[in-house]
Amino acid sequence: MRNIKIEHLSKSFRGDIILEDLSLTIPGGKFFALLGPSGSGKTTLLRLIAGLETADSGNIFLGNDDITKTPINERRINTVFQNYALFPHMNVFDNVAYALSIRHVPKDIIEQKVVKVLKVVHLDRFIYKAIDQLSGGQQQRVALARAIINEPDVLLLDEPLAALDLKLRERMLVELIELQDQLKTTFVYVTHDQFEALTVADYMAIMNKDGCIEQVGTPKEIYEFPTSIFVASFVGTTNIITGSLSISVDQADAIEVADLGKLAVAVPADKSWAVDGAKVAISLRPEKIEITKQEQVGFSNMLRGTVHAIVYHGRSTQYNVRVSDTLVLQVFEQNEEHFPQEVIDYDDQVYLYWQKENVVLLNQ
Amino acid sequence: MNILIRMRKAFAQEMPFFMALPAFVWQMLFLYIPLICVVALSFLHINQQFSLSSLTLSNYGMLHNPLLWAVIGRSLLLAFCAACTCALFAYPVAYYIALHTNRFKNICIFFLILPFWTNMLVQVYAWFFVLEKNGLINTLLLNMGFITEPIRFLNTAGAVYIVMVYCYLPFMAMPIYSILDRFDKRLIEASLDLGATPWRTFLHITLPLSYSGIRTGFFLVFVPAFGEFVIPVLMGGGKKMFVGSLISYYFLAALDTHRGAVFTVISALILLIVSLMLNKFLKWLINVFVGKGY
Repeated sequence: MRNIKIEHLSKSFRGDIILEDLSLTIPGGKFFALLGPSGSGKTTLLRLIAGLETADSGNIFLGNDDITKTPINERRINTVFQNYALFPHMNVFDNVAYALSIRHVPKDIIEQKVVKVLKVVHLDRFIYKAIDQLSGGQQQRVALARAIINEPDVLLLDEPLAALDLKLRERMLVELIELQDQLKTTFVYVTHDQFEALTVADYMAIMNKDGCIEQVGTPKEIYEFPTSIFVASFVGTTNIITGSLSISVDQADAIEVADLGKLAVAVPADKSWAVDGAKVAISLRPEKIEITKQEQVGFSNMLRGTVHAIVYHGRSTQYNVRVSDTLVLQVFEQNEEHFPQEVIDYDDQVYLYWQKENVVLLNQ
Repeated sequence: MNILIRMRKAFAQEMPFFMALPAFVWQMLFLYIPLICVVALSFLHINQQFSLSSLTLSNYGMLHNPLLWAVIGRSLLLAFCAACTCALFAYPVAYYIALHTNRFKNICIFFLILPFWTNMLVQVYAWFFVLEKNGLINTLLLNMGFITEPIRFLNTAGAVYIVMVYCYLPFMAMPIYSILDRFDKRLIEASLDLGATPWRTFLHITLPLSYSGIRTGFFLVFVPAFGEFVIPVLMGGGKKMFVGSLISYYFLAALDTHRGAVFTVISALILLIVSLMLNKFLKWLINVFVGKGY
């Protein structure tokens, strides 16, 4: 499967710059997620790849072919639209058959293919139903079937699950992963929902509010090793603590935090900006912190604080712990037992422990 | 007390009915009752003293006259041509305004419906200056050397047709516009995305989905154009009779009420039947050529 290579792409609408000098490579045959906050230009990027918009400058390559100027109807790229955009005057069969019918494919082949693709999306029972008789999830599947019937090189999905309820969304995510596995088509999945992106993606890119790509990597890389404060706080929940780095020969590396003192950190060798006195931040995921009322040993970092708020999530409980006048840390604890040995309540004095290796050092 | 409350509740529940009542009554008084009178009139034999005498079918004997059928046929043809031409002209305008203007949409609509604000008679009279012997078109054509002597436009069926298209164009454009304005543009994008050319997209997606607007517009033009009175009289010079002018001739000039009534009833019936047939025909056309035909 061919890569999509985007080089120095720019796009503005009426003077508003949406994308500026954006370069990105989307690996072929993989499930690729494009994650960013609303208004970050990810849909615009998708529309540029689809051919629904024309770029102001820059190029888009599919494999070695420059498709920047290729008309939309000649690109072997299909889209699953956010609100499905199913043709309301056609039934399920005609919607799915559309891409083939307009190419004058023989009727018997169309029928075979439609039945086959509807089986793939578990809709074969609804083949002659009208569109408005289908539920949201079923319409979603029709849109999917319609987009994949012509075996495109790339399938673009623009927030395809946004209109579905949580349970259905989780099921569709699994089905999408299986479908991608089966088809080996390049999937480009645009979403603002980090849960969806982390679930489906082989690779993902994070876009920030200015329409720039902040980081590209596997979901695990993005989550565990974010390279900027934006990525760390946009993907998942985290505690950002800012301070200045202190590196010296005789002491362990640490960051100096106002009101808290020194916190031990591990400084990776590849971070050239990490010099003594540099303004830095650490990202500390709530689940990486151990919360307890008793003193523990063997941890490289410890803070004391009072429980400020408790939010029960079911599988875990979130504690907001005030560690200084200006800083409240979020801590997740798994609810492993029905009757925990240690009950933590509001205003309890607690110890927070974590290992310095589980903290990500970020440039401020 | 209880009854009062219950009555008030019932009244509140039936509010929509009471709101609609004035219009019902109005239509009853001024449309349906006169219509029934006209139908009744066509079956009555009326003597010189204007006293009712007897029911009769003899008034319908006039239908043997082929000239009447010629008038009806001519009016149908004119109305049909005018409606088709309006559709051809109005669709692109409505399409453009609905789908390709952003900031200037309201201004475009304003200009589209501006003719509504002018009296129709004034509009029709204005066409004299365009079509007359020394009018705009003849002067232009003469000066540019396309013709050597002026063409006679006025008092021809052609003039009636031109002015009719002009006057009824907004009636076609507005319903098409209102449908296309609500049209989901993403359907066009989806069709292009699936590999259809813009023309095929129009044929298979946009046109079938705006069909209801075309149909509404078609009958908004076809029905009044069939019975149109002012334009044939002014532009046609009264030489060629159309349904509207013939009815007015019977009632106002010949003072022959029962023949007028017969002709009115017959032409209304024909209009109804033809409209129903056209409706079926349009639907068939859309299904065969664009809906599924690929």
